[in-house]
Amino acid sequence: MTLEIEQLLHRERLPHIWCAGCGVGIVAGAFLRAVLDLGLKRENTVVVSGIGCSSRAAGYIDLNTVHAIHGRALPVATGIKMARPEFTVIVLTGDGDGAAIGGNHLIHSCRRNIDLTCILFNNQIYGMTGGQFSPTTEPGDIATTAPYGQFEPPFDLCRLAEAAGATFVARGTAANIRQTEKLIKQGIQHCGFSFIEAVVPCPTEYGRRNKPAKAVDMLEAERARSISKTKAARLSPEELRDKIVTGVLYEDTQKPEFQRTYAEVSAGVRAQVGRRFAEEDEK
Amino acid sequence: MEPWHGHLLKERVDQSSLLIQGNRACVLGALDAGVRFYAGYPITPSSEIMEAMAFELPRAGGVFVQMEDEIASICACIGAALTGEVAMTATSGPGFSLMQEAIGYAIMVEAPLVIVNVMRAGPSTGRPTAPSQGDVMQARWGTHGDHPAIVLAASNVADMYRLTMAAVRFALRFRTPVTLLADQVVGQMRESFSEELIGRYRLTSGDFDFTPGYLHPDVAREVRRPHILGSGEHPHVTGLFHDETGFPTNDPEKTDKFLRDLYNKVAHHRDELCLYDVKNEGNGRVCIVAYGSCARSARAAWRLADQEGLSVEILHLYTLFPLPVEIIQKVARRVEFMIIPELNLGQYAHEVRKMAEQWTTVIGMNKTDGTLITPREILDRIAELVGKYESV
Amino acid sequence: MSGARGGTSPEQKPWDLLAGRDFIEVRFGGSGGQGVILMGVILATAATLDHRRVVQTESYGPEARGGYSRSDVIISNEAVDYPEVERADLLVAMSQPAATQYIGSLREEGIFIYDSESVTEPPLFRGTTFAVPFARMALEETGRKQTTNILALGAVATITGIVLADSLRKAVMGKVPPGTEELNSRALARGLALDPAEWQRGGAGAHS
Repeated sequence: MTLEIEQLLHRERLPHIWCAGCGVGIVAGAFLRAVLDLGLKRENTVVVSGIGCSSRAAGYIDLNTVHAIHGRALPVATGIKMARPEFTVIVLTGDGDGAAIGGNHLIHSCRRNIDLTCILFNNQIYGMTGGQFSPTTEPGDIATTAPYGQFEPPFDLCRLAEAAGATFVARGTAANIRQTEKLIKQGIQHCGFSFIEAVVPCPTEYGRRNKPAKAVDMLEAERARSISKTKAARLSPEELRDKIVTGVLYEDTQKPEFQRTYAEVSAGVRAQVGRRFAEEDEK
Repeated sequence: MEPWHGHLLKERVDQSSLLIQGNRACVLGALDAGVRFYAGYPITPSSEIMEAMAFELPRAGGVFVQMEDEIASICACIGAALTGEVAMTATSGPGFSLMQEAIGYAIMVEAPLVIVNVMRAGPSTGRPTAPSQGDVMQARWGTHGDHPAIVLAASNVADMYRLTMAAVRFALRFRTPVTLLADQVVGQMRESFSEELIGRYRLTSGDFDFTPGYLHPDVAREVRRPHILGSGEHPHVTGLFHDETGFPTNDPEKTDKFLRDLYNKVAHHRDELCLYDVKNEGNGRVCIVAYGSCARSARAAWRLADQEGLSVEILHLYTLFPLPVEIIQKVARRVEFMIIPELNLGQYAHEVRKMAEQWTTVIGMNKTDGTLITPREILDRIAELVGKYESV
Repeated sequence: MSGARGGTSPEQKPWDLLAGRDFIEVRFGGSGGQGVILMGVILATAATLDHRRVVQTESYGPEARGGYSRSDVIISNEAVDYPEVERADLLVAMSQPAATQYIGSLREEGIFIYDSESVTEPPLFRGTTFAVPFARMALEETGRKQTTNILALGAVATITGIVLADSLRKAVMGKVPPGTEELNSRALARGLALDPAEWQRGGAGAHS
């Protein structure tokens, strides 16, 4: 298994830029295992990322990889998918890239229900630029641009994706990576827009200013806070406040997928035009 | 590629001629040149391009997507271009501003695409329904960093057709975004247009082929091997400085070479890229250098001048960037005045002045009130200059 | 004077005041929603059918309804350079502001046609002038005020002869919204049947 994963890596590009204890590599590994398990064809698989720590994953993966500009991985992926529907297109993004600067693209990709898989690495901080708060930083926590504690409320990204129209919404953690890997696989197999939030620790920029501080403790805390959807349903909002609800949170297999719908409309129009031309030719 | 059936049916008024809107002629040119992917966002006065694409592309087996903003639009085009599609988007000032960062990305990853900017009076929201040429320098330097730019300017409906085709060809040959500038008047005007007119049209750069559907098969030699997603190479595409492998590099020598190659692939091909037309060559002490709708005013002024016994030369530029240095300097050497009418505060005149002022006096004529410069206004200015000169 | 109301009068002889000119500049002015730009497009289409070289430009405010609206059509036997009207041979004003604003662009020897109910204070113009209650006529003829622009185009063709009536008919049919062909065809016929003498203002005997 390890060997096969290495085949999906540009080994000459290693070592990677991620800090010791970072959760991005853990989830990137789960993604690669999912690609192998699903038997995705290398030439037909495209990974698109934006800018940020998690988006750097694209540079180590030996598939068709596009390291786009900040926040714009989803529209680039949309162009690729519409031009080449036979491609499996996966977007790797972060909480800053995907939910702040790229937030508008996220909700519109959900609304269209285009067949992309978006894995959003949520470390709740801008790591690459030095620990500024992101749209998912928890209230009261310290960031370099929230020196007195974060006072903006955070997004619940899964609820956002569901409300915006995504048809597969799931949350996993770096702490429970087997579950996350399974969720990624399900997301890739789902026809429609799949949104997978992967909660990952950033000990360097989040941990050092907040509690818990150490990577292992952060992972442990993630595990302790995780709760399944079924269990969460039985808890009150107060009891749920500090919890990370994991698993498949929403799934809809009925809503039409964007690219296929476009193809159907286009085929219908062409058939109609073709008939008209044939009739005119007869005359 | 599947054939398409559209405009010609809808707008044909009889067998021999068409009355067609500039924005729609642009779509016609794009489709004839093989554009099969369009992503855009509505904005006056370019929306007719998008509407026509929404109608035509599904019929042509192509892809049309209305995106959530102009940033998404150009990014979707880049995505499509990376798979080998010929992609296009159209917009106006505010949308063009939003696209700038992505234009830099397209340049960096050598993604061919066509961006049509039907200019309106700006800055900001400005006057959405008034013509302007205020985005000329933005088209050259809008995105950050040193970069090449190919910028064409249309002055009539036939231009909207053939320069769109030229833009596609340049984009594919040089693997870079090409901007076609029009303005509200050119984009929204309707004008006689016929197959005959296209065929008869000749630009002075002799090697230009406007056969519908013609695409240059050769990528310029300075272009790195184009990476096409799904071609079996599984390439890596990045906006970071990268080397031949496509992967990021911090090597000073490699980054410098990369940037210079990028820049020179356009600069070294000015011969091919600089399209222009000279009227009344070598006659007269004054040359009107004009582009876009001002070129029409210039041509009309030339005819008026002729009636009044004044000889005037016209240099009509279809390519604004790369700068047509050779022809501008050639003309500058033989005339006493170069008049440059523009619907801005002298953006291009400033560029021409830099190249030509050692030989001639470069005079800008500027209008920013949302109306066109009239032929009479140009002629009056010429008479004033020539008169002034004679009295010295 | 035919005085025909509600019917066609094909024997009406056009005045053709601008027929046969090599170069004609026409300006239509009104407010948004009156179909002024469509008037320009239709006239330009008709002139194209007459095998003329044509440029039609438009200038309008940001509003879809209300605001100003202007459409220029230049008809020529050669390629047209400057695309907008400099000195109009014909001004058709469908609103008071358009009449007031654009009268200055009309040549002294040009022709001024306006909707007599919308333009209640016609600007001073010494040349050939026609004041026609287009909107009222359209309402009488078709019951739809929206057909006013087509009726006015018919009148323009009859008065000026700048396009052939047949070309105009074809152009109207190709450009009006589907389902309105019959109504617009009636409006056009009514305009084409209009007797210019009945509506000419001032300068009696201008037409000999």
